[in-house]
Amino acid sequence: MPEVGTDNRELLVTGRGRFIADIAPDDCVDVCFVRSPLPHAVIRSVRLSSSQATWGAELGLQPLSLEAGAMVTTLWHPMPTERVRYVGEPVAMSWGASRYEAEDLAEAISVDYAALPPGTPLHDEAPDDVLFSRSFDSGGVDEAMAQAHLVVERTFKAARQSALPLEGRGVVADHDETSGVTTLWTSTQLPHLVRRGVAHALGAPESSVRVMVPHVGGGFGLKATLYVEEIALAALARRLGTPVRWIEDRTENLLAGTHGHDTRVSLRVAVGVDGRVHAIDADVLADVGAYSVWPGTAVIEPAIAAFSLFGPYALEAVRFRARAAASSRSPVGPCRGIGHNAAVFATERVMDVVAAELGIDPLEVRRRNAVRDFPWTSPTGRELDSGDYLALIRRLEEASNYQGLLREQAQARSEGRLVGIGVSLFNEITASGSADYRRRGVTSVPGTDAARVVVTAEGRVEIYTSAADAGQGHAETYRTLAERELGLRPEEVDVIEGDTALCPEGSGTFISRGAVGVMESVVEALRKAAKEDFEPGTDVTHVHDPSQVYPSGAHLAVVEVDPVGHVPHVVRYVAIEDCGRMLDRDLVEGQVRGGIAMGIGEMLLEEHTYSEDGQLLTSSLRHYLPPLAPDVPAVEIHHLESLSPITALGSKGVGEAGTIGAFGAIANAVVDAVGPLGAELTELPYSPERILGAVRGEPPRVAS
Amino acid sequence: MTVNGSRWSGDVPARQTLCDFLRDELELTGTHVGCEQGACGACTILGDGEAVRSCLMLAVQADGMELTTIEGMGEPGNLSTLQAAFLRHRAFQCGFCTPGFLASAAEILGSGRRYSRRELRDMLSGNVCRCTGYEPIVEAVFECQR
Repeated sequence: MPEVGTDNRELLVTGRGRFIADIAPDDCVDVCFVRSPLPHAVIRSVRLSSSQATWGAELGLQPLSLEAGAMVTTLWHPMPTERVRYVGEPVAMSWGASRYEAEDLAEAISVDYAALPPGTPLHDEAPDDVLFSRSFDSGGVDEAMAQAHLVVERTFKAARQSALPLEGRGVVADHDETSGVTTLWTSTQLPHLVRRGVAHALGAPESSVRVMVPHVGGGFGLKATLYVEEIALAALARRLGTPVRWIEDRTENLLAGTHGHDTRVSLRVAVGVDGRVHAIDADVLADVGAYSVWPGTAVIEPAIAAFSLFGPYALEAVRFRARAAASSRSPVGPCRGIGHNAAVFATERVMDVVAAELGIDPLEVRRRNAVRDFPWTSPTGRELDSGDYLALIRRLEEASNYQGLLREQAQARSEGRLVGIGVSLFNEITASGSADYRRRGVTSVPGTDAARVVVTAEGRVEIYTSAADAGQGHAETYRTLAERELGLRPEEVDVIEGDTALCPEGSGTFISRGAVGVMESVVEALRKAAKEDFEPGTDVTHVHDPSQVYPSGAHLAVVEVDPVGHVPHVVRYVAIEDCGRMLDRDLVEGQVRGGIAMGIGEMLLEEHTYSEDGQLLTSSLRHYLPPLAPDVPAVEIHHLESLSPITALGSKGVGEAGTIGAFGAIANAVVDAVGPLGAELTELPYSPERILGAVRGEPPRVAS
Repeated sequence: MTVNGSRWSGDVPARQTLCDFLRDELELTGTHVGCEQGACGACTILGDGEAVRSCLMLAVQADGMELTTIEGMGEPGNLSTLQAAFLRHRAFQCGFCTPGFLASAAEILGSGRRYSRRELRDMLSGNVCRCTGYEPIVEAVFECQR
């Protein structure tokens, strides 16, 4: 969405923004999808009953092949003609002058299915339903286990959730016969990747598809994959020659937008008498749903989870197996924190178990295990660029008045109240570059970020980037950069993102790459333009291929569980954040605060559940529960800025850290609150039902 | 009915929701549709001074009412006090929930009473924001009470 001048925020606060549902070209028809009501079935026949309806057999879409190193090659079928694999999968579509009319026509479409028995493999290419499997062994794990003073063994399960942007997805497509170009407006984080994927599926050149991104009402990963609906709308626009529009409703969003997490982590941890963790042996199993969605979603959750285990701690030996299992559920895609969440949940719970078993304070056990010298290479080959984990812990202790909190807790407990204190120390990878993707065998994601700077005849400076904003404040940050680095006045800078016809090609907005790769490309492009004195006519582009960096943080939560209803309530939250150099403190804090709120929701409230016969039970916001204002406390945020030596600005990215840290702090606080009752909780979310079950000593339901 | 001070009369399909009427018929697209089940609050507008879910009402039910949507609360360059406070406190990121929060907040402020931050959190619990963590929204509304 172009942001010309500086009044964009005023547009949003006055209802003058332009989101996908606000785009309605003349003669536009509204589309309704008919979705599979069955989790796994053969499509026997489809009766459309109208000329304003179609299905996959008429659209001629190409299946997309999924590539990635250790992954089983499966095909992703947009609008399948033979088999459906999850409830909510699009099968047919109808259209009319309004969504009301389109829904009337959809009612008349009849699809005859033959249900497949549970246990039928979802993909012929993967008879065991395993879409990805990777093992790693640094050596030395068995020896460490044999010599350990203590071996802790636990299994944890992160729930299936939704990133749940408040605005659902939506697509408007229009085909121009003369130029042969299909313009696709879509609410996405990935303009260039969507263009590539849609072109592949249509069997058309990329140059014949133009993707434009309007204001995006939140993404959080849900809008960071290619979707069937984007392909189907483009195909329909080409066929009809009139503009077509599909605006997702909330039920569709919860059913067919990608889900997140759903990962089980089983750990064996070798601990010395001093509380030092020497080695881990892990099994990570992610339920990735019916498909690995292009360009290969099945890999990311289990792989990132496995590699992120004990991320900030100086392990000596690591062995893991990470697998992605297909199921007849909605595909799992990126979801703020991806993989890290399950890893930090499991790791930080184990650190508290170690602390409790050995009688060491939770902060102290983290201090003893934290990586101290940077750069540091982990046994799995992660190269931590920078950080100061001991300073994070020290700042957390001071800022929270930790010793005072412990005294208050003792007092509260003596009064019979269930008050818990939980801490977490974590790091995360951000900004994967081209080498990271090629190493995984992924060729469709460039891994690069790019910026183009144009100086107009009037002397205005236009910044075009490969990213797409969903409320993070890209334009504001670029203007700040332009002012700070090159002395430009913010009001002479225009920012244009989310138009593949104008913007340079790059990866998009995910894995917190904005403050690393995108920002760096902006600065470099501006510097190139400065060399030409910002003369009118200047037109320079800079492509940056980032290296992964490691932001970090330490969080503390205080949670009180009411002893009757067992409802957990977060009463205090302190976050020490280190995202390297902050370019805009307010925007950083906005990301952290919002991320923590999402983390609190995902720890305590949010869960997608399916019935035994494969129906999603949480397909409305009356059943899927995001956190509301009373569920979230005011968050106390403090900053540490350990600059990355390998990024131009020293920045490291901040989009996901809040959520990731909460998976440790909230988990430990809840368990600590009910700890005196002897309860252990290993499965998310920590709902009142699960807390009560744990208090009663019922075995945790570690789901399959 | 009266919408943002202008009279409107005409026929509407019986099944059309109020939010669809506002968006499609009157082209007031500042009212956002988030769930169509009354759970997220994004479509909240003012109806006769009260916050109402425009997705849970049919357009015909608004017959004779006085409606205020986000477009009637202020405009770029001429923001309401509340809108200016939202901007100053960064009470939104993506901006999708903002019109609904502004309507809920306008109802609260319209009562003339002063509430604590904790009370405001409860009173704003009919609206979902997925970006901000709510604190800046509460602060913006709290400030406007003074």
